[in-house]
Amino acid sequence: MVDDGVLIELRGIWRIYRVGQEEVHALAGVDLEIRKNEFVAIMGPSGSGKSTLMNLIGCLDTPTSGSYHLNGRPVEGLADDELARIRNLEIGFVFQTFNLLPRADVLHNVDLPLVYAGVPRAERKIRAMRALEQVGLTEQWRRRPNELSGGQRQRVAIARALVTDPSLILADEPTGNLDSKTGEEILGVFDRIHRDGNSVILVTHDEGIARHAHRVIRILDGKIASDAPVPRSGGRDG
Amino acid sequence: MSILEALRLALDVLWANRLRSFLTILGNVVAVGSVVAVVAIIDGLNRYVSEQILSTGSHTFTITKFGFDTDYDSYLKMLRRRDLTLDDAAALSRQMRNALAVVPIVSRRETLKRGREEASGAVVVGVGEGVEELRTLDIVAGRHLTREDLQGRAAVAVIGEQVREKLFDPVDPIGQELRVGRHRLLVVGLLKPRGSVLGQSQDNVVLVPVTTYAKYYGMRDNLEINIRATSAETMAEAQEEAELLMKLRRGLNPWDEPDFNVFTSEMLYTLYQNLTKGIFGLTVGIVAISLLVGGIVIMNIMFVSVTERTREIGIRRAVGARRGHVLTQFLSEAVLLSLLGGLIGVILGSATAIVLHAATPLPATIRPWSIVIGLLLASSVGLFFGIYPAMRASRLVPVEALRYET
Repeated sequence: MVDDGVLIELRGIWRIYRVGQEEVHALAGVDLEIRKNEFVAIMGPSGSGKSTLMNLIGCLDTPTSGSYHLNGRPVEGLADDELARIRNLEIGFVFQTFNLLPRADVLHNVDLPLVYAGVPRAERKIRAMRALEQVGLTEQWRRRPNELSGGQRQRVAIARALVTDPSLILADEPTGNLDSKTGEEILGVFDRIHRDGNSVILVTHDEGIARHAHRVIRILDGKIASDAPVPRSGGRDG
Repeated sequence: MSILEALRLALDVLWANRLRSFLTILGNVVAVGSVVAVVAIIDGLNRYVSEQILSTGSHTFTITKFGFDTDYDSYLKMLRRRDLTLDDAAALSRQMRNALAVVPIVSRRETLKRGREEASGAVVVGVGEGVEELRTLDIVAGRHLTREDLQGRAAVAVIGEQVREKLFDPVDPIGQELRVGRHRLLVVGLLKPRGSVLGQSQDNVVLVPVTTYAKYYGMRDNLEINIRATSAETMAEAQEEAELLMKLRRGLNPWDEPDFNVFTSEMLYTLYQNLTKGIFGLTVGIVAISLLVGGIVIMNIMFVSVTERTREIGIRRAVGARRGHVLTQFLSEAVLLSLLGGLIGVILGSATAIVLHAATPLPATIRPWSIVIGLLLASSVGLFFGIYPAMRASRLVPVEALRYET
């Protein structure tokens, strides 16, 4: 197995929004540690703060207070450009609504992060094709998102998340817009990615999906309500 | 992300919305088009006019009956002035100390004939001695008019190339006769072709001794007395001298208003320049307004584009685009958009100038600097009006942009 040092370390994280005169405590003192090559599900009802937590882990948002170390490096005080660099190189997002660029073809959607990483064109294509290979979509590289099925679109999004070889794949309800059969296939892709040595965090409210993970963290009212390994129910993880 | 990639991306987006892009840049098209076309035409005119007007010779001036600032009243007043006469010219020639040449010139349009051949609209010009001091009148065959021709009121003519072509071709015209009305003229010389001025051929012309002209037509046509000063330094003196002598001849006091007109080719040129300055000023105004309106349209469309593509901006930011990347992307779009407008303007402006040049006698020279200025103006408009929408795009909060529903 790959090195399993600490990947994410959250200490006393608060995230407070101001809505008019009111303060909303989306996260109220979260402590959390996730090691490399874990497969974690973050669960909670809507409004529990799980999306806020995901945004913070994904460096799309910064905490009001508390400390966040990613790969041992402090993140909470970084400037906007630095956060963009971390999102670019360390994190691969997969969204519920796929969030592909509608006008760009599959290849360009996948190589988009590499554009911002300053990778030359020729190398971008090679790496994007390799990522597409990982999700089994090499033949569709010239198609546009609207010519693909939902499952294929989500595979493109996963390829995009993988293309920079990030430390962490962060998926927010990745099967939420898919039928259950396709959803299972996509979860299978995540299983494989994880077996290949990637760290994966799934945000979901679906128990069935959470069971694919090895550890489930439950959030309620901005706090961690429980944090427990998933009992393995068979030889799934070999 | 390199600038080149930003531009390629911008081009993709603009192409995807080509109709909108095209409508957006109309202001720039008009602005840059007018710059290029107007500069081409005015510059062409300028060069032409300076060549033609000033080719009548430096340090020369002309005395005429009429001036050219005419409202109706002053026109009536000028109509009552006395005609200039050959005697005036002869007197000035005798008495002026600062004149190299004093040349009476008078002209009218006539139809020339030889046998069945006709040359209509030809200008019959009566010229005095020394006309070659004033105008470039090179002889390619035969001889010039001489003093003897003048004194003898000889029925001789020097013809222009077009007259030769119409009446004599392929015969050698020298020694042949042509008819003007009931008069017969012996052709003694042929002028070198001079081309045309503003569509008027300079070669459909017959030069005769001014005395012969007077014999045929009298002096009712407006005689003008052309005077060349001995040098540029004596030009002002020569003008004063001529004015004074003319006043004395007409029994006026030196301090009276002259009842004739003195003007120099420089004055004519200045008048012309003021006119073109006016046209130019008007163009600058049109261009400024088009650019302002065009710029506001571009800004407006860029705002629409930013709003429409909020989600896209969120996606790009999520996968690692920095604010600078987003700023560059939208700014490239705005600049490219207005630069394209500029390019279309350059093409349309040049085409306008070329078509005008071909279809009318208006000369036009397309100046590279006007193209450069046009394109610079266009891209500055893109930059100036694009910066605010682009900044707004770059300041979107990624989390909110990702949640944006279109």
